[in-house]
Amino acid sequence: MALAQGAAFQTPGMPSLGVRADSGSDSGQASRFSNEFNPALSFIVDSVLRYDDSPASDDGFDAALRTLEFAGNAWVDPKAWAYFVGAVEDEALNVEEAAVHFTGLGGNNVIRAGRFFVDFGKQMQTHVHELRTLERPLVLREYLGDEVKGEGLEWDSWTGVGEGTAVRWSIAALANTLPEEEEDFDPATEAAAEIDSSKELEDFNFTARVTAFTDLSDASVLQLGTSLRSIPRYSVVYDDGAGNTAQADSLSSNVLGLDLTYGWTGETGERKFTLGGEYLLSMGDNGFEVDPDPDNNPGTADAALSILDEQVGGFFVWADYAWDRFNSAGAQYSLVERADAIQSEAYEVELYFTRMFSEFHRLRLVLAHSDGEGDDPLATLALQYTAIVGAHGHGVNW
Amino acid sequence: MISRIAKWVRLWALSTFATALFSSSAVAQDKLKVVVTIPDLADLVQEVGGERVAVTTICRGKENLHAVTPRPSHLVALSKADLFVQIGLSLETSFVPGLIEQCGNAKVKPGGAGFVNGSEGWSAIDVPRDLSRQGGDLHPQGNPHMNLDPRAGRHLVERIYAGLCRVDAASKPLYTERRDAYLTRLAVAEERWSKLGASWKGKPVVVYHQEYSYLIARYELAPCGAIESKPGIPPTPNHIAELVGRMKAANCATILTAIWSNGDQVERVAEATGARTVELPNMCGGIAGSETWIGMMDLVHRRLDEAIGMSAPQK
Repeated sequence: MALAQGAAFQTPGMPSLGVRADSGSDSGQASRFSNEFNPALSFIVDSVLRYDDSPASDDGFDAALRTLEFAGNAWVDPKAWAYFVGAVEDEALNVEEAAVHFTGLGGNNVIRAGRFFVDFGKQMQTHVHELRTLERPLVLREYLGDEVKGEGLEWDSWTGVGEGTAVRWSIAALANTLPEEEEDFDPATEAAAEIDSSKELEDFNFTARVTAFTDLSDASVLQLGTSLRSIPRYSVVYDDGAGNTAQADSLSSNVLGLDLTYGWTGETGERKFTLGGEYLLSMGDNGFEVDPDPDNNPGTADAALSILDEQVGGFFVWADYAWDRFNSAGAQYSLVERADAIQSEAYEVELYFTRMFSEFHRLRLVLAHSDGEGDDPLATLALQYTAIVGAHGHGVNW
Repeated sequence: MISRIAKWVRLWALSTFATALFSSSAVAQDKLKVVVTIPDLADLVQEVGGERVAVTTICRGKENLHAVTPRPSHLVALSKADLFVQIGLSLETSFVPGLIEQCGNAKVKPGGAGFVNGSEGWSAIDVPRDLSRQGGDLHPQGNPHMNLDPRAGRHLVERIYAGLCRVDAASKPLYTERRDAYLTRLAVAEERWSKLGASWKGKPVVVYHQEYSYLIARYELAPCGAIESKPGIPPTPNHIAELVGRMKAANCATILTAIWSNGDQVERVAEATGARTVELPNMCGGIAGSETWIGMMDLVHRRLDEAIGMSAPQK
């Protein structure tokens, strides 16, 4: 047993942590630094080599370490387990998730507290390197964001109904579920959505999900789900940094999602077919546009915001076939109606082949094409190479 | 198109719950509810428990045990179970820990009265010295396919008997009577298998996956290698070429494979060496005639005897 360095004794008023096992202290688990109790640690290397073909100027080859992700998880005590996921992106360490699951309420109830990917649909809990495709589906990115890291509390539970159905639900109160600002955000031409860090109780954001998962046969299952993300109050702020500002307050936004997934597994467990889809409705003040200079007279600081509140919808569907544990291929199509003045449409289609060298080692070839009203069409050919080291777990729920 | 789809939203939301609401329970309330991982354990639980038990099995007989996908019914069954029986040795590690953690049934969690680890007290073979992924999908406690050892039935029955008595002491006389009767039948079968296997010593065999290692060790067959390059890792062309050379040098005429693994790679090796492919069940129910554990072992021994009894490779 290896013990970490600890203080020789505990002085009055100091925390009990750090006391050696042989010190005679009654301060609890004095040998807690034994590495036998260390959490399961892991890291992931996710690299992408891609070629983009677009009339825009940013076409060509690129190779990048897209994600270096660290994770750890362990039981805290008999009633709680905790995990963290940190990702290095663009030379910065981001805390993707860090949460505790408290299981002491009995039954199937779990309280999750901390920062975690929101429980919305089938893909928002998933980290980007674990997706079937290179990117999250277009409609999710458009309405919810690339990733939604909620900070707050979530109650999750499930019950069996009959012999072959499990119904799970969750509800979460979160500080902020607005999409993160995009890397190319330009304050001179764009406005940002904001939520006050100090808020009334009714200002909290909420997510809720109910899903029924049932056996259709010995070889097939069906899952239906409904998800909601609600932002009851937020503001949009434009500030170009030169005194030209505009702001709109008391806005609200709701996104409702409906998902359906069918899964079939062959008799040896090697062949699998999955068909899924998710439809999203975005309601409320779900879009905004800024006009920095309506009178075409620079320096008059007359920026104007237009808030768009038309209901828009979009969906993605996908099919995946694995002919053995190591080889699979599939396709995904997403169509989205944007919350802009003309409710323009955009689509994205992805074809992929995934080769697993082992359970922890993967190569994926992706061919993607996207286009939309007002967009330049973009074709991408990408090779994604991913390796998982250690026991990797995200606490993704079904 | 999107606006048309939107009209169905509310109807869809209602249908999300329809399946659940109209499902009905048909659980036999008076029986002891037992969940097991593989059909072998189901057969043995049924033998000891008789009419007293209602058994739910997670794996299907033809499945690769390392690629099992549990279904919602398994989670529901485990949440109501009085007893859970697994093989252990990390055989079911890809699906059991998650099910047990989420089922909310403290009785069947490790350490609970209703948890039976079938391999407890078993002397595992192939225990890795170096736990590195370089060795493939290693099982830290040793080879987990103990259900394919002719001696395992006796061990598993005793573990199951102890578990049943623990959670249902009132029925101990019934369980004792049925266990004793089964062990008597098993002893006859074991003698039959021993006689068949007595002449197999030293015969070279190749496997696809190392799931027949206990069988090979029991009868002192000569393992000549595996078609997988490492446990759980598909073979490379170089590995196949090297294996073919080794098989020819050892005059190895038999390839043991399960249903899930009897594919192109096995065929390629068989063609290159002239060896016979012997398809064996890797658990009960995989092949007709293997529905019971004794029946499965009879089938395994019969097929092995037919194959090993034959002479050198065909070409």
